[in-house]
Amino acid sequence: MNEETLDSASSALEERSRALFQDSVAGLDMRTRSRLTQARHAALEAADRGSRRSWLMRLPVWTSAVGVTAAAVLGVALWFGGPQSHHHGPMPTADNQMKFEDLDIIAASDESSGDAMDMLQDDIDFYAWADKTASNEPIA
Amino acid sequence: MSRFDTLPSAWMVWDGPAPARGGAVLEQTQELDKFLAEIERRAFRMAQVALRDADDAMDVVQDAMLKLARNYAARPSAEWRPLFYRILENGIRDLQRRRSVRKRFMVWLPGPKEDPENEAQDPLDNVSDGGTPVPERLMQAEAMDKLESSLRALPKRQREAFMLRNFEGLDVAETASAMGCSEGSVKTHYSRAVHTLREQLGEVW
Repeated sequence: MNEETLDSASSALEERSRALFQDSVAGLDMRTRSRLTQARHAALEAADRGSRRSWLMRLPVWTSAVGVTAAAVLGVALWFGGPQSHHHGPMPTADNQMKFEDLDIIAASDESSGDAMDMLQDDIDFYAWADKTASNEPIA
Repeated sequence: MSRFDTLPSAWMVWDGPAPARGGAVLEQTQELDKFLAEIERRAFRMAQVALRDADDAMDVVQDAMLKLARNYAARPSAEWRPLFYRILENGIRDLQRRRSVRKRFMVWLPGPKEDPENEAQDPLDNVSDGGTPVPERLMQAEAMDKLESSLRALPKRQREAFMLRNFEGLDVAETASAMGCSEGSVKTHYSRAVHTLREQLGEVW
């Protein structure tokens, strides 16, 4: 059998088998057709119910995700947009004034340091005289 | 137009069904219903050829319908056919596997006794579908029986390829998608199936 004959035999077989199959489909009894229709409706209904349930079941996940996002946005806004921290912003005026007062006290204490030095010098002179006097006295 | 009009709605970025767009869902359901109505009888016959049992075939087809509707309804309708047949073929394979396991165990147990008198009669069983005259129908039925026997004798993959390509009219790419294999494999399986069937049925037809 040559290739052309084989091909035509194959296509004849394909056509014949297809026609037979279609006839058998067309000849399905009423009971089977009815069961198929019922099966289709049941499948669509079940799928519809399932999809509605899955939507409702996913709803809390949705809302919680939105809530978490909103909280994060609020947190970021408060962090960057809220009142300035003491560490980062300029010093308030009262603080500045206090600082200057402290400096005044230090400066004032520095101003009196000359007297203190004089007093210390006096003490040294006194100790030197006392030491000399004690060394000149005869031992009893 | 406010700037929010340009933003996608929440359901548009979510992969589930759209609750707010009832019309779209209804339209999709109607389209799916139409699709299933169009293929259900062929699918049933193909399952019946493979399983040799009408009830099992019905179960497998219903299961495939349910899985398609539940999991893939949102996919483009052009994808439904190969997806449906993939689910169906998987269902047929699972059932055949379960049967072979069951058969091993049932050999040891006595089978259930059938009582034909108590079996409920469905009035739809007696309804004639008319059309083709009886002698011609008998000849067709006989030829179909032979074809079914020959198809069952084929290796599973060859039978799948032949039925999907020839009976359902899927192209090579769709058949490959439905069978979960390459297009080259589909061509090979189909060619071998045709060759075997031609050898077995050529003289009869």
